[in-house]
Amino acid sequence: MKRHLLWLMAALAVLIVFPFIFGPLQTNLMVRFAIEALFAVSLNLLLSFTGLLSFGHALYFGVGAYGAALILTHLEGIPLVLAVLLSGLAAALVGLLLSPLLVRVRATAFTMLTLAFGQLLYVLCSKFREVTGGEDGIMGWTTPPLRLPGVFSLDVTQPLYIYFFALGLSGLGILAMWYFTKTPMGSVMISIRDNQKRVDYLGYQVVLTKAVIFCLSGFFAGLAGAIYAVFNNLVSVGGVLHIMVSFQPLMAILVGGIGTFFGPILGSGLLLMLEEATQAYPELAQMISGLIFIAVVLFLPGGAISFGARLRGWWQKRAYLRKAREIAA
Amino acid sequence: MSPELQMYLAQGIHGLAYGMLLFLVASGLTLIFGMMGILNIAHASFFMLSAYLCVTVLNATGSYWLSLFLAPLGVALLGVLVERFMLRRAQASGLGHIAELLLTLGIALVMAEAIKLTWGTEGLQVMAPRSLAGLVNIGGLEYPIYRLFIIGLSLVVLAVLSLVLYRTRLGTIVRAAVSDPDMVSVLGVNTRRVFMLVFGLGTWMAGVAGVAAAPILTVFPGLADQMGMDAFVVVVVGGFGSLFGALVAALFLGELNAYGIQFIPKLSPVLMFAFMALVLAFKPTGLFGDRE
Repeated sequence: MKRHLLWLMAALAVLIVFPFIFGPLQTNLMVRFAIEALFAVSLNLLLSFTGLLSFGHALYFGVGAYGAALILTHLEGIPLVLAVLLSGLAAALVGLLLSPLLVRVRATAFTMLTLAFGQLLYVLCSKFREVTGGEDGIMGWTTPPLRLPGVFSLDVTQPLYIYFFALGLSGLGILAMWYFTKTPMGSVMISIRDNQKRVDYLGYQVVLTKAVIFCLSGFFAGLAGAIYAVFNNLVSVGGVLHIMVSFQPLMAILVGGIGTFFGPILGSGLLLMLEEATQAYPELAQMISGLIFIAVVLFLPGGAISFGARLRGWWQKRAYLRKAREIAA
Repeated sequence: MSPELQMYLAQGIHGLAYGMLLFLVASGLTLIFGMMGILNIAHASFFMLSAYLCVTVLNATGSYWLSLFLAPLGVALLGVLVERFMLRRAQASGLGHIAELLLTLGIALVMAEAIKLTWGTEGLQVMAPRSLAGLVNIGGLEYPIYRLFIIGLSLVVLAVLSLVLYRTRLGTIVRAAVSDPDMVSVLGVNTRRVFMLVFGLGTWMAGVAGVAAAPILTVFPGLADQMGMDAFVVVVVGGFGSLFGALVAALFLGELNAYGIQFIPKLSPVLMFAFMALVLAFKPTGLFGDRE
């Protein structure tokens, strides 16, 4: 435990000095990482901890992003943190509204229903241009400074401050979700994944627990969307509601490791590095995503986080075999 | 016949033709799902690939009938390879149905990009064969023969499929394996081979639909997304694994699409999803299905 704490302190120290050592380019990359990681962890709450595969998580991300854009455009003088939290709450509300339908279906039907809702909002937002700006989206609002009256007022359009704003919120969000998995309700959630019928028989509230998870997962996905909106100062259907936006965090979870809490964070980082390495060929992005899905499912279903264990296992096996051969000889 | 009535009738037959086409795609999908519990996300990609293969064969030989024979066969072969070398491995990965969904999603993405790289992103036009090109007079309504041909072709495939499923020994094995694959396997049937066959058959049907659709839809890289969404809705609404349910849902959706575009063009893409949500709200297993 003490060693873990030490590692955590070291990581925190690195993150704090990071923007002072590296340039704005790397700092902005870290902001994208924070957004992606928060988004992926929120989806992972469904995938790894409730056993539900969603193909429409962009729905919540999009609601959060559009929520932030609309609030910041139309409500002048609203504190930034309040705007971002309200956007997250809007996404949670969508989760609550959909939950009567979503709790009824499982497995593949759940996946298809989430896909349908995701596409539904995508189509609606592209058609109703008066509110959402259609394909062009919403942009050019003035983002209020992050302010604590009398203490500080930070302009989050500066790379340095958006860095701390995004990383702070994302970190708090991830920490909150981690804490949730340790609560009694979190245990019920994991039991639902393992055997929903039995949990039901034991008298736990399956429907209520699932509804809470949808709201929670929706809230943090919406929060990620709101940070995205503040960071980019631009929200469009292609950027926040497209089906590839739903697949991105799915890929991060898969690459990092399904069934683990921290895998998706690792996966987000790895994917971002890959994206940077291949950004000269944007037309290949979809092909690369597809190949990643295939390769991980077929060859490394445990994800990158299992890679170390695998390597260790292979090494140990080799050592045992060598020893056995020596004894035999 | 009044012009107004003619318009309604024309939209109705349009819907019927699209519905039957949708059924061709969805029946293969639901067959695979019913048998193997796999929802093949890449199913519509096989459909699209077949349409592109049709273009290539047509350009090379000029014979539509030859492409109707060759393109689905090529697609079915690819399907068998995917089942044999990928799906089997994914099923052994220990991630359950999630692995299959993600794997087929990956295959769909790769196929879409590979098609773009091979044939380009522009829409390609396919001409219907000369014997089916003209118009036919139905009680005063001039209607393209080709769409009627699609309805006929789908009916033939449906008839053959039902004959095989309900009148042959192979069909008995397939139906038995749908309800309990382990038991059938214990009885000495090589279920793995049957699975491979069914997967090949399902992709073959998607291939037939692809060639049939090529002359009425433009062959472009978004074809799979357009058809895929509709086919998934059909399978979910009709009930996973139910052929009859797929037929009913496909016809209903075809008509919904045709009249929806007529009356509320802005909301017509939404109708389908709304209908699916409605069905799932009252019957999570779909209209005629008994499993999730």
